[in-house]
Amino acid sequence: MSTETLEEKLPEVAEVPKEPLFSSKNKRLLTDPLDDDNPITVQVLGICSALAITVQVQQAVVMALSVVFVMFFGNIIISVLRDIIPSRIRIIVQLVVVASLVILVNEILKAFLPDISERLSVFVGLIITNCIIMGRFEAFAMGNKVFPSALDGIGNAMGYAWILVAVAIAREVFGSGAISFPGIGQIKFIPDGFFEFGYANNNLMILPPMALIVVGIIIWVQRSRNTKLIEEN
Amino acid sequence: MAINKNSNAFTFTFAILMVIIVGATLSFAAISLKPRQVENAIQKEMISILSSVGVEANRDNASDLFYANIKERITLNHSGEVIANRQGKVDAQDADDPFNIDVQKEYRNPNMKPEDRSYPAYLAEVDGTELVVVPMVGKGLWGPIWGYVALKGDYNTIYGAVFSHKSETPGLGAEISEGFFQEPFEGKQIYDDSGNMVSVDVKKSGDTSSDPHAVDGITGGTITSVGVQEMMRRTFGVYDKYFQSKKANITELR
Amino acid sequence: MEALNIFVKSIFIDNMIFAYFLGMCSYLAVSKTVKTAVGLGFAVIFVLGITVPINFLLENFVLAEGALTWVDESFATVDLSFLSFIMFIAVIASMVQLVEMVVEKFAPALYGALGIFLPLIAVNCAILGGSLFMQERQYTTIGDATVFGLGSGVGWLLAIVGIAAIREKIRYSNVPAPLRGLGITFIITGLMGIAFMAFMGIEL
Repeated sequence: MSTETLEEKLPEVAEVPKEPLFSSKNKRLLTDPLDDDNPITVQVLGICSALAITVQVQQAVVMALSVVFVMFFGNIIISVLRDIIPSRIRIIVQLVVVASLVILVNEILKAFLPDISERLSVFVGLIITNCIIMGRFEAFAMGNKVFPSALDGIGNAMGYAWILVAVAIAREVFGSGAISFPGIGQIKFIPDGFFEFGYANNNLMILPPMALIVVGIIIWVQRSRNTKLIEEN
Repeated sequence: MAINKNSNAFTFTFAILMVIIVGATLSFAAISLKPRQVENAIQKEMISILSSVGVEANRDNASDLFYANIKERITLNHSGEVIANRQGKVDAQDADDPFNIDVQKEYRNPNMKPEDRSYPAYLAEVDGTELVVVPMVGKGLWGPIWGYVALKGDYNTIYGAVFSHKSETPGLGAEISEGFFQEPFEGKQIYDDSGNMVSVDVKKSGDTSSDPHAVDGITGGTITSVGVQEMMRRTFGVYDKYFQSKKANITELR
Repeated sequence: MEALNIFVKSIFIDNMIFAYFLGMCSYLAVSKTVKTAVGLGFAVIFVLGITVPINFLLENFVLAEGALTWVDESFATVDLSFLSFIMFIAVIASMVQLVEMVVEKFAPALYGALGIFLPLIAVNCAILGGSLFMQERQYTTIGDATVFGLGSGVGWLLAIVGIAAIREKIRYSNVPAPLRGLGITFIITGLMGIAFMAFMGIEL
């Protein structure tokens, strides 16, 4: 929830001279954020921009890829510049880097995926204030070499992405009974037979509050499996 | 040479360099992607116009279908006189091209009186039928609503109508963009028997299927329905003179 | 009338938390007690009420296509809107700093109440979200934009105070262990959001 707790958990890779490309430490940078240190369900960062776009899987995937892009390149840029960024304007520099990358993503989406870009509306812009990104810049990329930073970026963005896509899948399958893919059309997940027995799509799933409840359930499931994450009220 | 990273000079140089690099990169990206974005916006408008004349288009075939079906684009002033007309390809740079007139922007501009606005129309020919498409904008409950209404060659009977909205209530006002609201418009007439402009009312209740000048409103979406009605009456009011002159032409030819 | 419409809508229907999940980070982190929640809520109203109109002016006199015509007619085709993200966030960051300094100097009592929250707010998604929604919805006057900013802030305050009050009480109930803390907060927020949906059909 705060950056202090993050720093304690971070493996110190900066001082290790030569290590294999995918040492166990580096691998943990990729895999930790997927479960034990998940940005959304454990660190509680970056929920703001995440949930509103989980109505449809394709929107969620595009959003997730945008975040992966911004995190990956952002972490690399900050890590490359970490020794020359004047500490007094550090936060502003980080903000400028995120904002520029997000503008790039937004312009590219507008040019190549206009329909999805329209549906994502302001939420692409809100990647800027996605706390995960600034949080990782400050907590990791400012103090680590380029390669680990890149891995950390991908790891955290993927941790964010899978929750996003999982929520979107749950909402679209139960809300519309089918997932629509661009170019392929809709693929039905609920067999027609169900509808004959009186099954109905739950329209509530498409409405915003259900996103929160689905995340709540994901947290419940995750913490039942991984009991060390349970909070003391 | 050691650089003092905490000196003001270094901080300023860093900041200035950063601004220049970021500015240059972003401007380059924005400028090089702009044509595609403009193209996308044009395609989107073409798709809406085509759907009002019953032609289903997607982004790939929008411009082909548009040029095949829409013969001429004209702009009227507030008194219904033609002030510009264009044929052939849409030129995004040409501010007078009726296609480039942003009726929503003009409608929203508080400094622009109705008399100053431009009123574009599209003359179409679909499967041998002559049609005229009228774009319109108005106000719903929460934000702007807009639509395209296509009239048949008699400048009276509605051939098709599509409406859209920015932020109407889902399930209520937002239903104006659904087929069940738009389809009843087909076949309705905007002039009464004695040739007066009456537009089409959006009625709150009652059976409207036999009334040539009314359709059913949306239950619970009264303000949005009234908005559609107001938008059509106001817009057709401006085009009235143009339609009248065209109708006079038709009778003469007969 | 128009303004009242925008105000009511931004509080109840387009609620920042329940409809768009904006400002969730601070919403979850600072909602443990009602007192701090109220403080943060007022700080959000304050900052939204200032930054949305400023960004409105920026948008309409600098960034939008043709907005620079007041400088020179030849700028009519200049479109700087691709810079809006970076400009908005810069305005927000500097305004928050400025407000902090001004409040500290001239209203120490207010600073005591809001002071610790102000720095937190610069990266609150609700603030940038307010400006981006203002741009997307294209409000026509600065009055409308201000009312929208304030309304969104009030909606946010309502949401965070509500959840804080519930969380104070929920400590005494027997929540399943894996749901404690974060999980139950998410689910309660979802239920509150469903309750807020009752406002959706209102017409003024």
